Amino acid sequence: MNQRLSSGHEPLDSVLGGGLPANAINLIMGRPGSGKTILAQQYVFRNATAERPAIYFATVSEPLEKIIRFGQSLDFFDRTAIGTSVFYEDLGAKVSQHGLTGVTEQITTAIKERRPGLIVIDSFKALHAFADSHAEFRGFLHELSGRLGAFPVASLWVGEYEDAEIGSMPEFAVADAILDLTTARSGQRDLRFLEVRKLRGSGFRSGLHAYRLTADGMHLFPRLADAPIDEEYPQSDVRASSGIPALDDMLEDGYWPGASTLLAGPSGSGKTLLGLHFIFNGARQGEPGVIATLQENETQLERVAGGFGWSLNEPNIEVMYRSPVDIHIDEWAYELLQAVKRTGARRILIDSVTDIRAAASDATRFREFCYSLMQRFARQGVSIVMTFEIPDLFGAERLSDDAVSPLSDNVVMLSYLKDDGSIKRTISVIKTRASQHDPAIRQFLIGRDGIALA
Amino acid sequence: MLKVEDRGRALYSISAVGNMVGLPVATLRTWEDRYALVVPDRNDSGHRLYSRDQVEQLRFIRTRMAQGLSAADAHRLLAEQLGDGLPITAQAGQARLLILLVEPDPYAAEYQEYFLKTEGFEVEMAFDEEAARRSFEEKSPSLAMIELLVSGGSGLSLCRYVKESGGVPVVAVSVLECRDQAIEAGADAFLLKPLDPLQFVSTARDLLGSSSFLHEPPGALA
Repeated sequence: MNQRLSSGHEPLDSVLGGGLPANAINLIMGRPGSGKTILAQQYVFRNATAERPAIYFATVSEPLEKIIRFGQSLDFFDRTAIGTSVFYEDLGAKVSQHGLTGVTEQITTAIKERRPGLIVIDSFKALHAFADSHAEFRGFLHELSGRLGAFPVASLWVGEYEDAEIGSMPEFAVADAILDLTTARSGQRDLRFLEVRKLRGSGFRSGLHAYRLTADGMHLFPRLADAPIDEEYPQSDVRASSGIPALDDMLEDGYWPGASTLLAGPSGSGKTLLGLHFIFNGARQGEPGVIATLQENETQLERVAGGFGWSLNEPNIEVMYRSPVDIHIDEWAYELLQAVKRTGARRILIDSVTDIRAAASDATRFREFCYSLMQRFARQGVSIVMTFEIPDLFGAERLSDDAVSPLSDNVVMLSYLKDDGSIKRTISVIKTRASQHDPAIRQFLIGRDGIALA
Repeated sequence: MLKVEDRGRALYSISAVGNMVGLPVATLRTWEDRYALVVPDRNDSGHRLYSRDQVEQLRFIRTRMAQGLSAADAHRLLAEQLGDGLPITAQAGQARLLILLVEPDPYAAEYQEYFLKTEGFEVEMAFDEEAARRSFEEKSPSLAMIELLVSGGSGLSLCRYVKESGGVPVVAVSVLECRDQAIEAGADAFLLKPLDPLQFVSTARDLLGSSSFLHEPPGALA
């Protein structure tokens, strides 16, 4: 076995700095239903070999048969491995009859006879009930950790521990690594997060990392929170047209490549259309673009685009539609990064960043997420335009409380203007980075060719 | 002497086998039920009949138990030997190589002793430097395995002492990455803890030769 225990899922391994430490005690904590047993079995089937098998000990929390029965529904569960490289053993009877001494004996015998590379004890917390005193449990813990430490075996101790128990239960001090599977309530739904609470001898990615449980096991989306990189990167001098010549003039010949631009405005003001101008202009010049929409689905968007002479089926156009319902922002970000990589996109439209903000847990998370995403694309020279809805119809007092506008290189504001009994649309450039923009407020019309400045 | 082709034929009753190997009949029955490894044929009346091979297998188990293994471990070892096609009779009752195991951690010592014994070695345990020196002088081991942190870190001086006193091979083991210091102190090999059982045993074998026995086994069956 390597010095690191792989989960078989690269994002999880990378959060752990390469994997869980082998030859170490790793504790997986979480509430019922958080996926502890699934994750433990994922490690079992990923690492077990005939020479260094894995042994799964069930204690008194969940019957062994039940663990196996539900385990079979997982894609990685390999029936042929049972009895050769994966062994399931019941510790419940032993601990009931002989107490904690019986647990130590059975595990020691298993180590001698099977020479495992991985041992799972599920549930470890349930063993507390068999100690008459705190001192007895500490003694048991000392002996068990000593026996496990004397043999090259990794162990996973699984338990339904609460957050407050980290400071009071001695196994947390003994453990070399602690993975905490938590849930957070957001509206009517629960979001699942993994957090590394402790990892001896290795760096790891801190914070809450969203995950989903699938038939493949845990799918983790590491928290997009890049540290600033103090390295120079090549930048192009050829500006990217907004797709609207008059706006390009206001921007001093378009946007710098790799720039992030916020298209802010009230509902119906033309933000999506302004973004489509940018994407289709690039696509028709050979620059692939991705439309990452959380608003209109592809059918709805095709109708919108078709009204202005565009089609989503044109070359160099990729649509990534995701429902804003039950979205994980990091999962969405990795899908976008993948789409950009796959298509070689140079331009991105995010419609809208307002939906991303709604899905982010808090303002701090949203800010670091936006910063990381913008930085990644800036370094690749990929330009982003992001629509952002503001409530004020007639001139906004401020853009947002979440600081997405300060992070953006450029801010283009759309608004309404009451003029002689009618409502007209206006456009203005509020901010450009490294450019001398025209500060004028210009009226515009939306016709068959899209936006036309008056 | 029995002919080779006769060795597998069922010959002996259970009471005869009990006398031959020095075990109660009840024990033979219990082992048969529990481990299902040495299972005799049955005649028409249902009586157990053991072959000569099976008698040797039971002798093998008994000898291993006398050397400190549990019945379960002795059966497991027999199963491994049978699986590997190794001759069973050859290993019973022979003088075996003695390894001095100097290991202060009782859990690590238990594993190491177990793995060495199941591979056929005699093991002399020492938990501190003083006991190690005494055992070395009194028992004349063929190899010494020394945990370098024994007695607060006296392992290196113990390595030097063993090499200077007897010239037997020394394997230094430690959780510290101190291979170079160990080799400088006279160790012939260094192993990082926790010890992989295969690597651990094969290192002993490499330094002692492939056999754990002092003498070649006799060619003919008694």
